[in-house]
Amino acid sequence: MPYTDATLRLLGQDGALVQDDRVEKYTQAIAHLDEGDFREFFRIMSVVRRFDVEAGNLQRQGQMALWVPSIGQEAAQVGSAFASRAQDHIFPAYREHCVAYIRGLDLIDIIRMLRGVTNGGWDPRKTNNFHLYTLVIASQTLHATGLAMGIGYDGACATGDLDKDEAVLVYFGDGATSQGDASEALIFAQSFQTPQVFFLQNNHWAISVPVRVQSRTPLYERAAGFGLPSVQIDGNDVLMSYAATRVAMDAARSGQGPHFIEALTYRIGAHTTSDDPSKYRDEDELKFWQAHDPIDRLKNHLEILGVEQSFFDSVATEAEDYAADIRAKTLAIEDPPVEDIFRNVFIEDHPVIIRETAWLKQYGESFEEGA
Amino acid sequence: MANFTFPLPDVGEGLTEAEIVQWRVKPGDHVAINQVVCEIETAKSLVELPSPFVGIVRELLVAEGDTVLVGSPIISVEGEGPDLAPDTGVIEAVADVAGSVSSDEEAPQVKNLVGYGTGASESVSRRRRTKPPAKGSVVSAPQTTPSVPVTEGTTVLAKPPIRKLAKDLGVDLHAVSPTGAAGEVLREDVVRHAGQATVFKNLETPAWPEIREDRIPVKGVRKAIAQAMVKSMFTAPHVSVFVDVDATRTMEFVKRLKASPDFANIKVSPLLVMVKAMIWAVQRNPMVNSTWTDDEIIVHHYVNLGVAAATPRGLIVPNVKEAHTLSLRALAIALEQLTVTAREGKTSPEEMSNGTITITNLGSFGVDTGTPILNPGEVSIVALGTIKPKPWIVEGEVRSRMVTTVAASFDHRVVDGDVASRFVADVASVMEEPALLLD
Amino acid sequence: MNELPMAKAINEGLKSAMTADDKVMMMGQDIAQLGGVFRVTEGLQKLFGPNRVVDTPLAESGIVGTAIGLAMRGYRPVCEIQFDGFLYPAFDQIVTQLAKQTARHEGTQSFPVVIRIPYGGHIGAVEHHQESPEAYFAHTAGLRVVSPATPHDAYWLIQDAIASSDPVIYLEPKSRYWHKGPVDLEASGALMHKARIAREGTDVTLVGHGAMVTVLHQAAEIAAGEGVSAEIIDLRSLSPLDYDTIVASVNKTKRLVVAQEAPENASVGSEIAATLTERAFYVMEAPVLRVSGFNTPFPPARLENQYLPDADRVLEAVDRSLAY
Repeated sequence: MPYTDATLRLLGQDGALVQDDRVEKYTQAIAHLDEGDFREFFRIMSVVRRFDVEAGNLQRQGQMALWVPSIGQEAAQVGSAFASRAQDHIFPAYREHCVAYIRGLDLIDIIRMLRGVTNGGWDPRKTNNFHLYTLVIASQTLHATGLAMGIGYDGACATGDLDKDEAVLVYFGDGATSQGDASEALIFAQSFQTPQVFFLQNNHWAISVPVRVQSRTPLYERAAGFGLPSVQIDGNDVLMSYAATRVAMDAARSGQGPHFIEALTYRIGAHTTSDDPSKYRDEDELKFWQAHDPIDRLKNHLEILGVEQSFFDSVATEAEDYAADIRAKTLAIEDPPVEDIFRNVFIEDHPVIIRETAWLKQYGESFEEGA
Repeated sequence: MANFTFPLPDVGEGLTEAEIVQWRVKPGDHVAINQVVCEIETAKSLVELPSPFVGIVRELLVAEGDTVLVGSPIISVEGEGPDLAPDTGVIEAVADVAGSVSSDEEAPQVKNLVGYGTGASESVSRRRRTKPPAKGSVVSAPQTTPSVPVTEGTTVLAKPPIRKLAKDLGVDLHAVSPTGAAGEVLREDVVRHAGQATVFKNLETPAWPEIREDRIPVKGVRKAIAQAMVKSMFTAPHVSVFVDVDATRTMEFVKRLKASPDFANIKVSPLLVMVKAMIWAVQRNPMVNSTWTDDEIIVHHYVNLGVAAATPRGLIVPNVKEAHTLSLRALAIALEQLTVTAREGKTSPEEMSNGTITITNLGSFGVDTGTPILNPGEVSIVALGTIKPKPWIVEGEVRSRMVTTVAASFDHRVVDGDVASRFVADVASVMEEPALLLD
Repeated sequence: MNELPMAKAINEGLKSAMTADDKVMMMGQDIAQLGGVFRVTEGLQKLFGPNRVVDTPLAESGIVGTAIGLAMRGYRPVCEIQFDGFLYPAFDQIVTQLAKQTARHEGTQSFPVVIRIPYGGHIGAVEHHQESPEAYFAHTAGLRVVSPATPHDAYWLIQDAIASSDPVIYLEPKSRYWHKGPVDLEASGALMHKARIAREGTDVTLVGHGAMVTVLHQAAEIAAGEGVSAEIIDLRSLSPLDYDTIVASVNKTKRLVVAQEAPENASVGSEIAATLTERAFYVMEAPVLRVSGFNTPFPPARLENQYLPDADRVLEAVDRSLAY
């Protein structure tokens, strides 16, 4: 049973709100949300999941070297992403496709990266400060902490204006918590009391290594050991995800220092398309988590609220259209020009770059046409 | 209606092949985009492959149980609908990498991005270049500026092996005219320069005499020389043969002899080796070591080896008696003694008589070769010319070797062409390989 | 003209840069009140405050990783790694992150982070305190690498490094920290990546950087007494390397000896040798010779004088070069 006594939730899998005194302040935190917001959560979770499936198919058809599925983690991502404010900075790991969508990224840019057309794919300044995917595990936790330190030095937090005060939301996984950089990030964060929330998506697997190898204690307790206020939530409950993040981010931006959220969720799919979970995972475990699917849970709640079937149908249609559009865009991606090898290695002119660019050009021109 | 084929993708970052475990469709079936068409087994896992096309399955190109290379077409589908734009411009990419491309080469195919690196490069050929790099070109290095801005004056451009060659040959690179494309001194430049330097030159040019004529009485040594020349030239029908030979090993051998304690203070030169070669060649071709009389040809089975020597009074030919019995060292001493005595003008008549074969050294004058006149009473005379670096073919490549021309004149009354040739060839073969004397 | 030891010159340079641009900030262990274990940052926190001269937790990866985040925020962080031997926990953040961030962001942002590292031997220190890690950085595309040999260059190069929009590794030859030299506070006299002719000569070119330049001067003096005129080039920049200056010198002298404290195998000196062979093939009268530390871990300090190239080792190579 992956949940502990400390796990907080607002929604049960049946879609009904949970009665629990401990979640009082979190209930307050979603009080301003209405059915329209919940429909939006549902729509985005569904569209991005359908996108994810399409991307996986495209990989199997030879369109990408690799696809990294986010299936099963939609509630953890959508809730937390919505809870952050427009002025915030978001540091993903490499599986936060829902967060990307919400922050305005054209998801084709993620496909471009996995296709090998770019090592980045977007400009964070043009995607509402949704930073690039970081493939070195846990590296982004330090970058996020540094940027949060900068917010502090700028005086851009703790002014009392929630719509202006900035904070940093950094995502990472259970495997990442074992990296030294993750611990150093927590150390710097609490030392400098950064306006920052560490959002751990504990999806229970780091490729084939289960979370119990990373930690013998619940991971939210580790953060508490570093001195951060810390909470464990049911990450498949989009409302809880929203609420916990909202509370933590607003506390952080208000000068109360860094906070930590452990969101319990599950990587329904493989680590990537190169992986084969059947080699190391239990069927029963998968079944458990499939029975706790985040989209089903929200659908159940919407049905309780009386949302009509036509809404769900229209979302499904929209999802299909989105997938077809992604397919068409993927097939149209062209290889980058060879000059991209040399572009942007440095900002300022560099003699080696100049020399090698020129050499490759004359080398390419030394071949017969079509050879 | 367009025909599409689906090449096997690399589904796991570097896989080269997969086995078709099970087909989930058959020819004639309608298939939708993303509908699973087959299950494959890779080195990493079992994977279901979704169709990239919508249409009717035309043909399953591989069978269940087959192991297929990444990039090989596995299924062809007849596509439907104008909205399914075939992926054109991709055919070359796939055709390049697929081991066996399907017969429908015009059919647009799904662009496979990955999985070419490892298995599919069976026949890699070289792209044709329009401008092959100029050999030894300075500009072929990856740079935008010339690698060597040639400074005026003291900078000589030359590759290290050429510098070494120049050093070995005692050539001053600054004096050599370079003919390389970048102004560098080439091997042939050094060799040419070294060759020029060995030509004998008078160091001084005397002034024109004031009197109009000098009248020298014909007497003494000059008279004797003249008489001998005429007698020899106009009694014996002279024929001369020549052969060029790579004498590098002789030069190396001479170098070693010079360094040997046994030959300390003894003059050693290529002439010594050639003399030894002649003696050996005489042993193999006895006719060349004879004397013509009207009645009989006397073949000598001993060698009194004459050496043409310059004296203050003119050219004389003293000979080393019983040269065939002398060791290399004794021969060297004898030759040296002979030369010194001649230079001092002290050669005795006895020393100048009864020679059986002669060598003349034109090389000491910087002359390559010549047609020597027989010493009267002999039927063969060998000429040693300059030994100098020349381009030579060694193992199919042009190399600089120390080359010389072995020349000899013969009395055709006694020595026919074949004997003459064999004799000269024998001498030359020793110059090429002194170790033959170890026979 | 001021006479300053290198540590002070760097201090002045930092002060200058921090005064000119209030986005410049410093972070490292013990740099604030203590002023750094070599006192290079002495007095700076008093002048610029705790938000601009920051004592960090003891975590090198943390220092560089957060500096990257600060650069994303628009700051120009100058990190101090306390000793060369301790930079390696930060190596991942330097090589996989800092060096690649500009390219990964496709030029939409810059990462003007400077990492200052005291390096090199000759201070009799214990293990890990006398390393020469230049080659790792020179080999990593995306980084610029410089190392001053004189207080004047130390003063100006640190400012050039801070002003650069690219990440710069600034290697400080610690054995030179307390040696005084003239510093022209008005004009640098050179571009960041330009090598300096430290002594003119005609018979052989000696190339080095950092503390080695002092040794080259010693060797050149002795050589002059023996009738050999050596030209000394102080590289100043290890990546990119100023090959034009070296090639012009070798065109003149025809012979090149490269000296470095670092071990020879796969070193910056090896790179210079390979490139000069290519660019000066037709003029060289001897192969490029390298004088380096031995290919061993840096030995216990009592052996460092035998390990590190001194004038004798440089002259041995000069002799060999001239014998060709």
